[in-house]
Amino acid sequence: MSTHALEIKNLKKSYGKNVAVDGISFSIEQGEFFGLLGPNGAGKTTTIHCITGIGTITSGSISILGLDVVKEYRETRKKIGLSPQDYNVDIFAKVWKILDYAGGYYGMRKKERMNRIEKVLAECRLTEHKEKAFQHLSGGLKRRLMLARALMHDPEILILDEPTAGIDVEFRHELWEFLRKLNKSGKTIILTSHYLEEVELLCSRIGIIHKGNLAALGRKDEFVKDGKKLEDKYLIITRGEHF
Amino acid sequence: MFNWIGLYTLIRREVERTFRIIAQTLGAPLISAFLFIFIFGFVLGRKIELVGGVPYMLFVFPGILMMNMLTASFDNVSHTLFVSRWVRNIHEVLVAPLSYLEMIIGYVVGAITRGLLIGLGVLLIGLLFGAVHIAHPLLFIFYAIGVTTIFALLGILAGLWAKGFEQLGIFNIFIIMPLSFLGGMFYSIEFLPETVRAITIYNPMFYFIDGMRYASLSYHESNLMVGATLIIGLILFLGTLVFYLFKKGWRLRE
Repeated sequence: MSTHALEIKNLKKSYGKNVAVDGISFSIEQGEFFGLLGPNGAGKTTTIHCITGIGTITSGSISILGLDVVKEYRETRKKIGLSPQDYNVDIFAKVWKILDYAGGYYGMRKKERMNRIEKVLAECRLTEHKEKAFQHLSGGLKRRLMLARALMHDPEILILDEPTAGIDVEFRHELWEFLRKLNKSGKTIILTSHYLEEVELLCSRIGIIHKGNLAALGRKDEFVKDGKKLEDKYLIITRGEHF
Repeated sequence: MFNWIGLYTLIRREVERTFRIIAQTLGAPLISAFLFIFIFGFVLGRKIELVGGVPYMLFVFPGILMMNMLTASFDNVSHTLFVSRWVRNIHEVLVAPLSYLEMIIGYVVGAITRGLLIGLGVLLIGLLFGAVHIAHPLLFIFYAIGVTTIFALLGILAGLWAKGFEQLGIFNIFIIMPLSFLGGMFYSIEFLPETVRAITIYNPMFYFIDGMRYASLSYHESNLMVGATLIIGLILFLGTLVFYLFKKGWRLRE
């Protein structure tokens, strides 16, 4: 039996009395393109934070490729690349410097870092902006940089938290192609997005989180059967109607 | 396995940040140190007789040096950690394969580096006024690194605890500066009334400044063993506390 790329068992995350994630369980296979959906505040980003170490886990467990994210946190973090929803960078730092630091944190040597920086800059169409400070980038360029940073250490699992928010249509299509290519090369991708057509286009399996619970989980074709769109099913679930 | 490159990167980022805002991080404290040395050491010092058997300029210099180094160390790490939490770029470090120990060492070494850079600058200013004298170089290094380490660890605690810039400023205004000034920076405790002198021996700054004064001039008023034990003890206590808080994720992880 192959090891799951991600396995979440009964994950619970509370902030005081406020329960953000209420005992969800699901797994993602290696090489999958998984869509994690839900309204704002449903618990998607909280779940991602628990996976990546930004958040603590109240109870339950998360494993990455068979490794526990709490006990073996150093190993699991090497395997994950996160493109976050928020721009969590030093806004005064230059584009290439942000990538340089990111590579350094992951233990990459200087030569390896410099080569990798050029590669991810080119892949994310940021080469001409590499000397600009983050604060001087447009919204779209900032999103691209978040993706480039997530790719710096060539992770096995890529977590993209609303990666296309605020970017132009042209780059969105380019990004879709690029993500498909990455997925075909074997990377597991977890995508959260409010653009449901994007999820429908890219993901093979989908989970919907609503009010901290996993309200639906299945293959994409299960969501879009009977000629309905993903959005129709999504609204039924999040409005509390029976799926 | 120790992530040496990750640790080096964290230190490098901190040092590069110091040089990126050089007017604030190095320029301002050095101008302040120059004014202290000029006014208290040079202008007033010429009118003051020997203190503890040494010229006043030489007497005050180690205290000015120590105050500037420890303030720089504290400010560096408290600000970087607080701002990183505020703008959330602390996440870059939290998601990286860095152990808690590596993170702490990175922040502490970055702070010590800034403290020592300031110390070097103050020494150069002191040379202009003929105020520099180092009688015990190894002890001088011990006090410089020991005290900047303590204030780096305190800076981490402040950076984690503060919920706003006002809270962050409390430490400097209400704790560091008063304790430094009352710790015998500008005077011998012989000048103090008996009761105030008795209180002064409970001020840790007194031991830090007096230890540096001994390393510089071979003159001291405190029990040096108490001072050295205090420095080592505080490093161990604060280091353990900071490690515990990092492991717990207090005010670091959501």
